Order: sequence, then C-alpha cells, then structure tokens
Amino acid sequence: MSDRRAILGRMAAPALLLVLAGAVLLPANIGLRLDRADSSASRGMNAALDRLPVDPMVLVGFDADLGTYAEVRPTVRALLADLLARGANLAFISLTPEGRALAIAELNRLDRLEANPRQIMDLGFLPGAEAALVALARGLGPNAADGTISALLGTTELPDPGMALVIGGNDLGPRSWVEQVAPRRESLEIVAVAPTVLLPELQPYLASGQLAALLATPRDGAAYRASVELGPLERLAEPVEPSSLAILLGVLAAVMVLGHSLGGGLASALRAVRSRETS
Amino acid sequence: MNGLFGTEPADGVATWVAAIATLVVLGALIGERRVFGWSQHLLAGLATGFLALLAITEVIVPRLLAPLAADPAGRADLWLGVALVGVTAAAPWVPRVVAAVPLSIAIGALAAFALGGAVVGTLLPQLAASVARPEPTPLATLAGAGAAAISGLVLVGFVHGAPRGRVMATAAGTGRWLMLAGLGGWLGYLIFSRLVLLIDRLAFLIGDWLGLMS
Repeated sequence: MSDRRAILGRMAAPALLLVLAGAVLLPANIGLRLDRADSSASRGMNAALDRLPVDPMVLVGFDADLGTYAEVRPTVRALLADLLARGANLAFISLTPEGRALAIAELNRLDRLEANPRQIMDLGFLPGAEAALVALARGLGPNAADGTISALLGTTELPDPGMALVIGGNDLGPRSWVEQVAPRRESLEIVAVAPTVLLPELQPYLASGQLAALLATPRDGAAYRASVELGPLERLAEPVEPSSLAILLGVLAAVMVLGHSLGGGLASALRAVRSRETS
Repeated sequence: MNGLFGTEPADGVATWVAAIATLVVLGALIGERRVFGWSQHLLAGLATGFLALLAITEVIVPRLLAPLAADPAGRADLWLGVALVGVTAAAPWVPRVVAAVPLSIAIGALAAFALGGAVVGTLLPQLAASVARPEPTPLATLAGAGAAAISGLVLVGFVHGAPRGRVMATAAGTGRWLMLAGLGGWLGYLIFSRLVLLIDRLAFLIGDWLGLMS
C-alpha cells in the first residue's frame, strides 16, 4: 500500500465522524423524512394501545441493552408518555442487570420531569432469567399460583396487567416473554420496542400474532412518534428527533465500504483467472 | 440529547465525564489505543461493581437476609438458598462433587426453562405459521410458500451423516447458502444499530456537552 493510500485510510474514519457531526448539526428533517415512510407498525401499536381498558395496568419489562438503547430511546420515551397520557399505570420490572441500570435512569428522568408518581411503580430487579419469567407469569393476575412472586418483588399485591410492554435489546427480550410468559398467560397482550438488530428474530412472532405490536426500526419509531398526541406530557418525549440525514449518510458510507470490499475481492479473483489463462 | 442528566452541578460533572469517555473511545479511530484500553478496563470494573451492588441491595439483603432475620424458623427454603450461595462462594475449597450441586441446579433449570419455552413458544407456533396456506393476496401466498421452502432447505442443510443423493446434496448446499445470506442480512441490521449509536454519541457531544443544539 502506498503512503498516500495509507494516509487516506487513516483519515477515513475521522472524516466520516466529521461528516456525520455536520449532518447532526443540520435540522433533523433535512434529506429524509422517516416518519413519512411505511406506518403499518405504528398503526399496529396504536391499535394495540386503543384496545386497552380505562386506566389499565401495563407491565413494562425493561431489558434494553446499552449498545442499542440509543436507537430505541426516543420511541420508548414517547411510548411511555403515550401510556401515561392514556391514564395507564406502569409497573417497571427488569430481569437483566443492564436493563435495570437503564430502567433506573429512565425512572429518575420521569421523576425529574414530574410524571405522575401514582401512575408509576418500580418492581425492581428480578433475578433468575427464564425461571424468573415463569414465576412472574404464574404470579400475575387474580388467579395467581401463590404469593411467591409478590414476596420476591417485595409487594403485597401484584397488579393484574392487561398488557406487557417489553423493551428489548438484552438476552431476556421479547422472544423470552413470548416463550415463557405468553403460553402461561394467554390473555396478556405483549407489545415490544426493540432495536433493528432484533427485527429478523422478532418479525416471525409479529406475523404469527404472538406479538400484538412491534416497533423495531428507526422508521417505525419515527412514524409512531409522529402519530401520538401527548398534550401536556410532551415534555416526557425527546425534544430533538434523531438526524435522519446522518443516518442516511452513515448507511451510504457502510454500503460504499461493503462495495469497495466486494469490488476488491472480485478484482483480485479476476486477476487470478487471467494470470492462469496467460500462463 | 439523551436527557439522562438534569441541571444540577452533579449532572454537569456526569456530562463531562461521559463526554471525555466518549472522546477516549472515539480516539481509538485515530490510533490512540492506550487510553482506549484503560476505558475498557474502566467499563469492566464499573459493570462488575454495579452487578455486585445490584446483587446486594436488590437481591441478597431484601429477599434473603431480611426475611430470614424477620422469621428465621419459618423460612426453611431461604436457609437452603443460603447454603447454596455459601457452597458457590466456597467452590474452590470444597470437594468438586459438592461444588457442582448449585452449578448443576442453575444450568439444569436454565436449560429446562429455555428449551421448554423454545419448543412451546417458538418451534411449534413458528412451524405452524411457516406452513404455506392460501393468503388474502397472491403475493402473500407466494411469500408464505417461499418462506416454507426456505425453512425446509435450511433444515435440510443441517442434516449430517445421513446417506444423500444428488438432489439432497443440492438442497443441503442451497440451504446453507440461504442461511449464510440470512446471516449477512442480520449483520447489516447489526451495523445499522451500531451506526445509530454512533450518531447518538455525536449528538450527545454536540448537544448535551457543547450545547450547540437547541
């Protein structure tokens, strides 16, 4: 590799950062309107929320992942605000330490922004992975198996939720809830917010009806955020939308890198074939 | 704008610490690996510390020690828990047969629940859903048939050791290539998720730290 190519190679990453930073500084909706694309996932989520009874209890399984939470965070905040605006009572529970850390941060934020504390219950961290989910499923509702789960959570009375909202990203995400909770609590609707990387895993559950609704891409999240009317609870949503132009430029850069890699591989294969023909 | 920090002086310090940590990590892109290595150690240490704190404050004290202190004679199940925790902590010094007991229970329970859930919650419903059947539109029917065909080919790709003819070998090869294509697609989704994270970090530096965004 020549010196010039080596220098260009070293400068590529900082240059990309500068370009993305410049795009972030521009207004969010320049270049691409994510919320104007397909809104079927958003309609599905709104339909699931509309089926909730008056003043419902919603169990929030908060098990996001630090590496992907940035992607779903604006949607999660809008969804929590939407549920609070609909009069829902939210019971937060986490089954992973990472999810618990993020849940604590979000609960602190809700407290700081003066969300109604009577609508929010912190059930804390439930250890035990899949076994804990099974215990949780058995301990929910009026026909709960026993008081074990209430004792574990330190509450005298566990709410009977009409819906479970699962914030995915970690090991115990929407798939685990579908596998462990849904077969034991068939009346419980499960809706989920998850990062794009989980879309191939979760799409079949949505298609088969095991998930009532799923928001799993920035496009779906943007469409949902554009569809909700939060009124005075608008303060609970994120004030600034993610930069769609920066996302577009980043995707283009990724495609260019991939194309360069593929092109290089093809060119070397062609050179090898030609050299065999000439020799 | 992650909004995780408020306006108190302590929140300002937290924003500065987060910004410096972000710059250190991004610095690895221009070749500054030593400080980046330290940041990895810091992350590992913080994660371990948080895990220990969580175990003590939300599990061991409120759900094990406090109930035992309140009613030592009435909670035999918790004494069993204390014994298992004790054996796990003393694993290097007790006989291997004894040390294996809590580990076996943990792995056995995890495997049983995970496997049972995968069969009841995923395998059977998804097998039923992947059967091609008439859908409202021809395109949906075609997509269903395509999904069933791909599922079958990938499953055939996992068949090993059985006698194969030319047709089966071709089907298995096709199934493996389809699976690789699926993995490639999944990698694309992963890159997209990481890209959004990078943009969020830049927005944090520009907005929360430098205050250049309203």
